[in-house]
Amino acid sequence: MTSCGNPNVEKDALMERRPKYDGKTKICVKCKENQGNVVIRHAVYCKSCFFPLVQTRFKRTLEPSINPAPDGPRRKALRAAGSLAVGFSGGTCSMTLLDLVAKTYLTTRPTGNESMKGGTDHPRNSERGVWKGKPTVCYVEVCGAFSGQIDQTEVIRAIVERYPNCPFEFIPLRLEDSFNPSWWSSVGGGNAVDSARSFGLDISDEELRLTHISQSTPPDSSALTALKAYLSSVPTLTAVNSTIQTLIRLLLFHTAAAHNASHLLLGTSLTSLSVNLISGIAQGSGFAVAEEAKEEWTPRPARGLPVRVVRPLRDVGVKECAIWNWWAGLHPVDRPWYPSGAGKNAVDSLTRDFIFGLETDYPATVSTIARTCGKLASKEDSDERCILCERPAQRRVQDWKAQISIRSYSDATPAVSGITKPTHLSDDEISNLTQAKQESKPEPSLAPYLCYACHTTLTSRSIRGMTAPLSAQRAKETPLPMWVRSTLDGVVAKDSVDSEMIQSKKLTSQDIKSQIEQYLIDE
Amino acid sequence: MSQLSLKVEFGGGIELLFSKKHTITVELPALVPTDDSTDDQSLMEDTAKEKKPANLAYLVLYLRDRLLTERAELFVENGTVRPGILVLVNDTDWQLEGEGDYELKDKDNIVFISTLHGG
Repeated sequence: MTSCGNPNVEKDALMERRPKYDGKTKICVKCKENQGNVVIRHAVYCKSCFFPLVQTRFKRTLEPSINPAPDGPRRKALRAAGSLAVGFSGGTCSMTLLDLVAKTYLTTRPTGNESMKGGTDHPRNSERGVWKGKPTVCYVEVCGAFSGQIDQTEVIRAIVERYPNCPFEFIPLRLEDSFNPSWWSSVGGGNAVDSARSFGLDISDEELRLTHISQSTPPDSSALTALKAYLSSVPTLTAVNSTIQTLIRLLLFHTAAAHNASHLLLGTSLTSLSVNLISGIAQGSGFAVAEEAKEEWTPRPARGLPVRVVRPLRDVGVKECAIWNWWAGLHPVDRPWYPSGAGKNAVDSLTRDFIFGLETDYPATVSTIARTCGKLASKEDSDERCILCERPAQRRVQDWKAQISIRSYSDATPAVSGITKPTHLSDDEISNLTQAKQESKPEPSLAPYLCYACHTTLTSRSIRGMTAPLSAQRAKETPLPMWVRSTLDGVVAKDSVDSEMIQSKKLTSQDIKSQIEQYLIDE
Repeated sequence: MSQLSLKVEFGGGIELLFSKKHTITVELPALVPTDDSTDDQSLMEDTAKEKKPANLAYLVLYLRDRLLTERAELFVENGTVRPGILVLVNDTDWQLEGEGDYELKDKDNIVFISTLHGG
């Protein structure tokens, strides 16, 4: 039973569970001959028709985006600009994705003369694949983030390498690579060791001021230590899950770019897309909601090709993926269901429980979520990108955030001016409260380079306190992922040299009078 | 009283809740108590309790009470399998067979697949 409102007021608020299938016919709706084996959104399919159905939906989503010009004559030739990268987690949907990619584009054609005639079956077409080079499968091992988890890299490798003729190159990554200079150098990000600046983050401050990590930083600060420090500094369990997703995403992006990939395929199903959309909007990423379904990422620093991130299973539900795996003899990798333990109360976990319940009782509503979100567009375009998640960022997010909420008077210069000023404070009190900040020397801050969602993730405190108490020193020197440090090297240096500082300041009548005093004519 | 021998399979990670066993054989009486009790006493042939044919809903409760080793809330919710767990009866979606009302037959193959590990 799903609740969508107050049952005391609205009669239909409690959505009673009802069978999805009405029992009228058990014959497959496609071939109209065989007994049905599976119900997909009220329609019955037999086992023979199920596989082409899923494969058709997969191709229909993926193929229009393969050629560099999306509206080109794709039936004539599918030719990608670069190579293919597949993000693989070993879960239900990515297992289906890998199988579909292998069976649709990488199966070896028979070499007999009978099957090689002409057209698309001409030998020259069998020699040239859709993508250049050998497709890569990237797996990010997250066991470093959680204590007691087993490293599954070799299990995943065995899954990837069992396909005939080994069509994939397996690239194992680790979540802590986000903080690993060697990995950053290997993907063409630059030599971070020789980088002029080494920034840490003061996470205890809402402005997210950047601190220069001194050379006395302990040498044992390995990538894994840095990852743990970073995750323990984010304020909520929701933020921990969100941060891990962002790190995995960017690790895949940079690895794909390093292998000259033009396409990165992710195994996001219709169900998980709906979960991500609702969960993302709840966490403040509404501005980039379109990117959740489809995005094109240009690497920073510039290298390789722009990576088109495609989710070819976005019209296929998780149920179809699970059935595909079972009937194809594929077994997803076993994992604990809530790796972060108490994280089952995080926003994404709660959203997932809600959407899965909704899909069981009212399957059509899940596709409605994805379709509705697909129509959303922001009022204004933005050419700015968040330095952390690399998604479009709204301009002047911090100003807007300051206008809609007052989190501390001392940091609320714009908020306490004009019509939004608190009525219980006088002009002098407001001026005194904001004085200290205006007179202090401005320090570089991460906040102006973040999108609303990332800023909220890093600063929104839980009413139950921090996930783990941090020492004052650790809170001020939270390490940053390599791509953030690399981009900061450029933008902060530039801002400090040639930027113009503009600050708003509420003046009292006495201040104004003193400033124009010399121009006043004596009465 | 006749006995049913059922092959029960687990996939998609749900086997973690059943001592990591992927396949088990379950022996059930063809008639089970109408109050869905699953203890040995209730399953005795000479019990005074009212009986009904064993169905899938009863099998779910039987698995929860007798074979599940941890975290029952991840398998059962509101008296049926939790949303996100698929059930196949002899390779057919249980929705086509009447879900929990499907009356079990000897040698049936029942599959439980978890979809909760997404990605």
